[in-house]
Amino acid sequence: MMLRFHTQTAGCSLQAQQPLVNIVRVTIQALAGVLGGTQSLHTDSFDETLCLPTEEAVRVALRTQQVIAEESGVAHTIDPLGGSYFVEQLTDKMEREALAYIDRIEQMGGIIAAIEAGFPQKEIADAAFHYQQQIDSGEKTLVGVNKYQIPPEEDHQLQILKISSEVEQRQLARLRDVKARRDESAVRAALDRIEQCCRSDENTFPAILEAVRHYATVGEICATMKTVFGVYEEATVL
Amino acid sequence: MESGKARLRLLIGKVGLDGHDRGAKIIARALRDAGHEVIYTGLHKTPEQIVETAIQEDVDGIGLSILSGAHMTLFHKVIRLLAERGAEDVVVFGGGIIPDDDLGELRDAGVAELFLPGTTTADVIRWVEEHVRPRAIPG
Repeated sequence: MMLRFHTQTAGCSLQAQQPLVNIVRVTIQALAGVLGGTQSLHTDSFDETLCLPTEEAVRVALRTQQVIAEESGVAHTIDPLGGSYFVEQLTDKMEREALAYIDRIEQMGGIIAAIEAGFPQKEIADAAFHYQQQIDSGEKTLVGVNKYQIPPEEDHQLQILKISSEVEQRQLARLRDVKARRDESAVRAALDRIEQCCRSDENTFPAILEAVRHYATVGEICATMKTVFGVYEEATVL
Repeated sequence: MESGKARLRLLIGKVGLDGHDRGAKIIARALRDAGHEVIYTGLHKTPEQIVETAIQEDVDGIGLSILSGAHMTLFHKVIRLLAERGAEDVVVFGGGIIPDDDLGELRDAGVAELFLPGTTTADVIRWVEEHVRPRAIPG
């Protein structure tokens, strides 16, 4: 059996303190993905906890993949961990536990019923709270966060990418320009067509494509759909 | 809850287009477990909705979690709207990813405290219990 899959390193594992250590975290996670046989890989940038990535941080993330692919040698073997009893039993354990969740959700009447009952939200909130308690108590180690800390004034000062408000003004100007030049009646007709599809069982996608071809904006398309479907209000689960 | 400790009414909110609610939910739960009444708003609220809920619910403090980078805009707006509604005595605090350069301006604008990465839930509870007081609600 072949399973094609994409891997992204875990943004939630990145830390604001001693941010260069994130490069090490990303490397270990990316290597794990490659050892697991991933076909596609996204490495997070080390500054992602603090801002949108700078050019430098993005380059380091790319170089991390290139070191694994072209220097480390792990990619020379199809399945370097094949036959490891430990890794195999971890895979089995994860499979068992995932299937147990799937069974439980089926018994609740499927995922929509489960979400309406707040089940997955509660599981995530519980796990997050438990994890934070383990960090607070030191039961779980986060290097540079609850162990091996340094005073903030000694910490690495990252170059933070700042987006100037000029970007917003420029985009607004482009939007005004597009709206001034498009065929307004064609846009109106296309949006009405979307609304019609939303009110029936028809596939909305051809209508959306038609609207985009006439330069309807994402905002206008969403607003049209909202008139029919409303907006999802999450049931807050703590 | 320890005797003598005031039971506070607190709103923990997520404003703007930021979907990262893990921190807000953990803080809401920790404050609730410490014996306070916590209203958690859920995601994607506007500053207007936050202030409206705060006034309707007569809260003593508002904690905003912002990880989108829009903290300068959103904190200012919430504080201005509270003042317009005569509720400037509601203590506003917050947390998230906020660069050092922005901290001073936010404090000057009236954000009572900002909790940054590395804060424990106990730190937040301690600060809230020392700095937020039950408000005298007129009428």
